[in-house]
Amino acid sequence: MKVTLATHGGQAAAINLRLPPRVVDAEALPQEAARELARLVEAAKTTQAVKEDGPGQARDALSYTITVEDVDRSTVLTQSDTTMSPAFAALLTWLERRLAME
Amino acid sequence: MTTTRRCLNCITPPYILKKLLESGEEEIRQAALNTLISTAQLRGERAVRASFAGSAAAPANGRRTIFDCRNSRFLPQATLVRSESDPPVADASANRAFDAIGATRDFYKKVFDRNSIDNRGMRLQGYVHFATNYNNAFWDGQQLVFGDGDGRVFTDFTGSCEVIAHEFAHGVTEHTAGLDYHNQSGALNESLSDVFGVMVKQWTLHQRAAEADWLIGADVFTPNIKADALRSMKAPGTAYDNKLLGKDPQPDHMSHYVKLPDTEQGDMGGVHVNSGIPNRAFYLTAMGIGGYAWDAPGHIWYESLKASSPQTQFQEFADTTYLKAGQLYGAGSAEQQAVLAAWNEVGIRVSGVPGGAEALRVPVLAGRGDGLVHDGTPIPALIRQIEALAAQVNALAEGLSVLTPKP
Repeated sequence: MKVTLATHGGQAAAINLRLPPRVVDAEALPQEAARELARLVEAAKTTQAVKEDGPGQARDALSYTITVEDVDRSTVLTQSDTTMSPAFAALLTWLERRLAME
Repeated sequence: MTTTRRCLNCITPPYILKKLLESGEEEIRQAALNTLISTAQLRGERAVRASFAGSAAAPANGRRTIFDCRNSRFLPQATLVRSESDPPVADASANRAFDAIGATRDFYKKVFDRNSIDNRGMRLQGYVHFATNYNNAFWDGQQLVFGDGDGRVFTDFTGSCEVIAHEFAHGVTEHTAGLDYHNQSGALNESLSDVFGVMVKQWTLHQRAAEADWLIGADVFTPNIKADALRSMKAPGTAYDNKLLGKDPQPDHMSHYVKLPDTEQGDMGGVHVNSGIPNRAFYLTAMGIGGYAWDAPGHIWYESLKASSPQTQFQEFADTTYLKAGQLYGAGSAEQQAVLAAWNEVGIRVSGVPGGAEALRVPVLAGRGDGLVHDGTPIPALIRQIEALAAQVNALAEGLSVLTPKP
């Protein structure tokens, strides 16, 4: 499983526009970390963001696209600072911590 | 009655009125004098209102509350750290947010007589330490939220006063024009936040337009990063250019307008990119008029913001600023000419101006960056004219007192 994180918008939106998405490859993770990632992904897939089309009333908030690629299917999750579910937030935080270590 | 008088003030430029004061006909001299007096009264009223407004900035209006998110992404989990009447706390981010929000609130009150974000004394809530290593600040529709930065590229976003004022201005825009956050109206929304953000910065530093750096987010990068800021209003497209961040993509002219998808991935049509065009128009206006950006340029932009709607595009906003400059400072005034020249320079021709850019060649714009010249007239000569005018006002007052029946 590969998990890709792309960040959009915000005060530094012009910079974020050109930054490539960052990737975490579960195959390259220690077993325990890979299991934790799989658990967080499953939880995020099953919970919805607070329903809102586009930026709503928020200005300069960041939005995040997390793409999960398995062998046979791909899932795209997009949520923002002001609409994200706790499960999405947990996955995002885990990914950001992991990517900061690289 | 009042409406008619204001209309006359708008149509007749001050330099023509001054010429008319020298007319051989008493009636014409008197009419010109009346118009000049009422213009001065209007300006005086604004100044007096502003000074009263400052003293009336009671703590009850726009009270500040700062919360600590403690690295959570969910605001209800934050804890209160500082309220309006509290002394500074140990948390420097909380104090910076508290101070900058207060300065911004005071700026709106003293300069525009606006009572907080909604003009009704709305409570001002700031949230610091949002998430972990969060490289951003935002307005969530009701509150201001700030991240600490990752410490590698970005530092604490409460470190830039204009960034805090930028977010505050998003609230003001929502409570006035409500500009849609897509494409041109969205870029205008972003630009207005930069315009008012930079004015707050210059106001707190007491800087003239010519002395300011016109940078947004000058302090958000760590010292390791070779970048001036997030954006430059003076020279959009030059704020940064390095391997890590790439080159600043902001255009400075309509011919370089960047078309991006109206999606979150496309920055809602490039709202943070194309804001460079109206940003530069404001910078050029401020430089053309001279003095402090929050004076005439600020009032023209503020009135234009209030007159705009959710769908306002660049062209309509440019037309509105030209109209407002005429209403506030007189048709053909140096202020209105500066607005016209500024939009022209970024590739937007104000609608309905006879001759368009040709009109700019007749009354030469004398930039007052050095403060020595106004509308082509040296300041000492202007002072003499004001003294002569004051003498005529006194004479008129004496005449009036003679005519007034005694009890």
